[in-house]
Amino acid sequence: MDLNGEEFIPAPRERVWEMLNDPEILRQCIPGCETLEQAEPDQFSAEVVLKIGPVKARFNGEVFIKDKNFPDGYRIEGEGKGGIAGFASGGADVILKEQEDGTLLEYRVDANVGGKIAQLGSRLITSTSKKLAGQFFGKFSELAAQAQTA
Amino acid sequence: MSKVSMTVNGKTVEREVEDRMLLVEFLREELNLTGTHVGCDTSQCGACVVHVDGKAVKSCTQLAVQASGCEVVTIEGLATGGDLHPMQAAFKENHGLQCGFCTPGMIMTAVDLVNRVGAGNLDEKTIRENLEGNICRCTGYHNIVRSIEAGAKAMA
Amino acid sequence: MGVEGIGARVLRKEDKRFITGKGRYTDDFKMAGMHYAAFVRSPHAHAKIRGIDKSAAEAMPGVVGVLDGKQLTGDGIGNLICGWMIHSKDGSPMNMGAWSAIATEHVRYVGDAAAVVVADTLENARAAAEAVVIDYEELPHVIRAVDALKDGAPQLHPEAKGNLIYDWEIGEKDATEQAIAGAAHVTEMEIVNNRLSPNPMEPRAALANYDEADDHFTLYTTSQNPHVARLVLSAFYQVAPEHKLRVIAPDVGGGFGSKIYIYPEEIVCLWASKRLGVPVKWTSDRTEAFLTDAHGRDHVSKARIGFDKDGKIVGFSIDTIANIGAYMSLFSSSVPTYLYATLLSGQYNIANIHCNVRTVYTNTAPVDAYRGAGRPEATYLVERIMETAAREMGMDPAELRRRNFVSEFPHQTPVIMCYDAGDYNATLDAALKAADYANIGKRKEEAKARGKLRGIGLSCYIEACGIAPSAAVGSLGAGVGLWESGEIRVNPVGTVEILTGSHSHGQGHETTFAQLVNERFGLPVDNVQVIHGDTDKVQFGMGTYGSRSGAVGMSALVKALDKVEAKAKKIAAHLMEADEGDIVIEDGEVKVAGTDRKLGWHEVCLAAYTGHNLPQGMEPGLKETAFYDPTNFTFPAGTYVCEVEVDPETGKTEVIQFVAADDFGVIVNPMIVEGQVHGGITQGIGQALLENVIYDDNGQLLTASYMDYAMPRADDVPSYKLSTHETVCPGNPMGMKGCGEAGAIGSPPALINAITDAIGNNNLTMPATPARVWALINGK
Repeated sequence: MDLNGEEFIPAPRERVWEMLNDPEILRQCIPGCETLEQAEPDQFSAEVVLKIGPVKARFNGEVFIKDKNFPDGYRIEGEGKGGIAGFASGGADVILKEQEDGTLLEYRVDANVGGKIAQLGSRLITSTSKKLAGQFFGKFSELAAQAQTA
Repeated sequence: MSKVSMTVNGKTVEREVEDRMLLVEFLREELNLTGTHVGCDTSQCGACVVHVDGKAVKSCTQLAVQASGCEVVTIEGLATGGDLHPMQAAFKENHGLQCGFCTPGMIMTAVDLVNRVGAGNLDEKTIRENLEGNICRCTGYHNIVRSIEAGAKAMA
Repeated sequence: MGVEGIGARVLRKEDKRFITGKGRYTDDFKMAGMHYAAFVRSPHAHAKIRGIDKSAAEAMPGVVGVLDGKQLTGDGIGNLICGWMIHSKDGSPMNMGAWSAIATEHVRYVGDAAAVVVADTLENARAAAEAVVIDYEELPHVIRAVDALKDGAPQLHPEAKGNLIYDWEIGEKDATEQAIAGAAHVTEMEIVNNRLSPNPMEPRAALANYDEADDHFTLYTTSQNPHVARLVLSAFYQVAPEHKLRVIAPDVGGGFGSKIYIYPEEIVCLWASKRLGVPVKWTSDRTEAFLTDAHGRDHVSKARIGFDKDGKIVGFSIDTIANIGAYMSLFSSSVPTYLYATLLSGQYNIANIHCNVRTVYTNTAPVDAYRGAGRPEATYLVERIMETAAREMGMDPAELRRRNFVSEFPHQTPVIMCYDAGDYNATLDAALKAADYANIGKRKEEAKARGKLRGIGLSCYIEACGIAPSAAVGSLGAGVGLWESGEIRVNPVGTVEILTGSHSHGQGHETTFAQLVNERFGLPVDNVQVIHGDTDKVQFGMGTYGSRSGAVGMSALVKALDKVEAKAKKIAAHLMEADEGDIVIEDGEVKVAGTDRKLGWHEVCLAAYTGHNLPQGMEPGLKETAFYDPTNFTFPAGTYVCEVEVDPETGKTEVIQFVAADDFGVIVNPMIVEGQVHGGITQGIGQALLENVIYDDNGQLLTASYMDYAMPRADDVPSYKLSTHETVCPGNPMGMKGCGEAGAIGSPPALINAITDAIGNNNLTMPATPARVWALINGK
């Protein structure tokens, strides 16, 4: 599954970069994320509850940040195991472009799912991913805006 | 755990069941009414159709606790006395079954269909459209349609 | 023909229990202390098992065991076998990889069993299965057969280099090439036969119990052939010696081939029952069924057929790649070879045929026989290319077929088969007439006026049933004989018990087999009980598949009835002091022909058992057994005509009419035969219009429920117009040919030929979904 998109974030590029590297911000933005703990620099362990179609599962996994290129962007990768529900893995290339009153965040997501999620929820992966991306950036924009006004 | 109480095939039954227990599990595992079958996990196949308060219900989509207080009829309760229900007889007379696994759900759906639509309004197209939720792999539906046509006449 | 004899439409004796909910399927059985198995299955298409952490699962409520593949092999349980040896054209035996019922080191398809949890309730077993943590190292995978043969493709099994199991051929290559080179017209096609999931409505299930006191196992299982299951479980998997294992296949809710095989779950339930000391039940859910029931078809073929200037076929060349999945299932090797390529002559007189088959491993579920098994793949190929050739040559497709029909019997094809009897013109004529083929032009015009595209397609199929004789199939590599056994037990009161090695899972044997007794002795079918599906009751048998129960199973009963009749006549002749040759048995009476002397059937039977007055030296009793091994395959054949209307706006196909004219030889019960044809055609329409097993590029099964795998529903199909034409099969005493698979074999090409006729574009692959058809219409 591939998903491309862009999102305007009402904050300067450096601020967006900081936020993208802040585990607490990421935890608040990732839909269903219950814990996100920094294990090492650029490596986090995460627990996320996801519902795709009829399958709801708790994923335990690792998140890595790669190809850091301050402040232009990075690649974030993750993989999670959801027990009998299967697994999910994937990543996103994130590109930050400076704009007059904020930052344009472009993303290219690639994701794979396996096991029960694929067997029962495959039709819903794209729509669910779009929804999740929307939730992520909605929250991200909101936090960025708060940070600006704060 | 919850207490459920319902009438099944004319008899009152009471059990303590787990909240998550499906009606079909309740019928099969608690009451040993194994005529109601499970053919899929996604409420598509219709092998588990029973009547709850006179209406066809896929018993895999309803919890046992939801049926508490209801009147449930399964395939085992369709015949009265020693006599087959006209729809049961029609399935036999028209070779409307082969392996028999989908048959209980088919018959329960067919009875409900006649009750809902009326015996006089059942042309082939209507019957076929109303079998959307019941899958049979053996008969190719041809003789199921004949059975329901005949059963409907006999019920009229 | 009596009202209950051969040819009578006797209503089914078995129906009462099914229509009242009293059928007894494997999952309906319970045992005291019964526990439930839940399998932990691979979510990866290909991976190495680095480790299994069972600790959390073992600590969960109700769990009595968490078992893995190393424990299974450690207990001496053998690998799964493939029961038909195929040799490559270079003479080397097929390259078969090891398949353990629970994976030991590698998992090779999504759904491969990696561990099993046994617990006191199904819920506890499933919850604990979720807690088993398996550390997988993902390996490269390959999903499509064509890709598996490419250089550098990921390897599944060390035994099969390049994933090639065998490279097999049949027929004369050089002669075929020469013939095609000299042809006036050559038609070439690439033909894909889509992958299917059999989907009997009853999911597979197993209930195993080990009785320590008797050192004896009992297995209730959803099997089409319980004796073969016992043999294989015993001789190859070392689960238990044969005399210590009882296999019962009670009411079985459809099979279509998928319940022939002995699957890992049965082995594991038996093994776990002994190891853990509890009865163990496993019932597949539908997604597990999609993942692990053997799939069907999945061929990619290139075919070339040459014709002379008169439209006579001169040569036919086929190159096929068959996907066998991750492991070789029980009869998987025979399906794309002897059950497929031997039928490539179709109904036609073809001097030169050559077929090459490469069978390959991929990271997908095992593929084996599904209704028709090889013969639908052959028929689809032959009948698609015949229709296409006719269009290319500007000939009427019916006429092209007629011109090439085999018309003299016996007819030896260049691909092993010797057709024994048939009348292909008769079934073609009957089908064309019933379909009003002559006036299709008018109907096309009428449809066009409504903005619809109407088309018609033919399929003249032939198949081979009752695979036999045993010596011949043995010489071709079969690991078992394909005879059948039958036993007739006449009780002292004259009622009859039939014990048969055939197994009914929807075919109505309890009725049709009883009709044989009615035909022979005039006893009502209600006085006849048919017993099958229990290795403790029936001595041995080969089961039901390949449309064999009539031609082979009933023939065994006929032979046993011959013996019973002969003995009963001897007894009656002795009792009535008549000549044995004058005794006739009819209407339940035993008479001396030409006199009014007679005895009731029950009187003769009682005499056999009292033993008070039997002929000198005769043993008491009236019970006879026969083993019947046919002399040849049988060859059902016929013509199917399908007429469709396509909506060019949506690409949706409506089947307007479907006509079948079949020759099944002698028919015992037309009602049941019609039912078999209805069901077979519907499965064929399913393949052609709706069904498709889809793995994504990562080997994930996307069609794993009825939400995504399109099963034919009642409103996808029409009512059918059937007729039969009888040519008697000379190969068995009944003259029967078999009818179980014909519908599924003959129908897909008729449908695709009709749609391609309607839309004027031949480039259509199954299933003909609205999206595909619409794309072709609109040149997308």
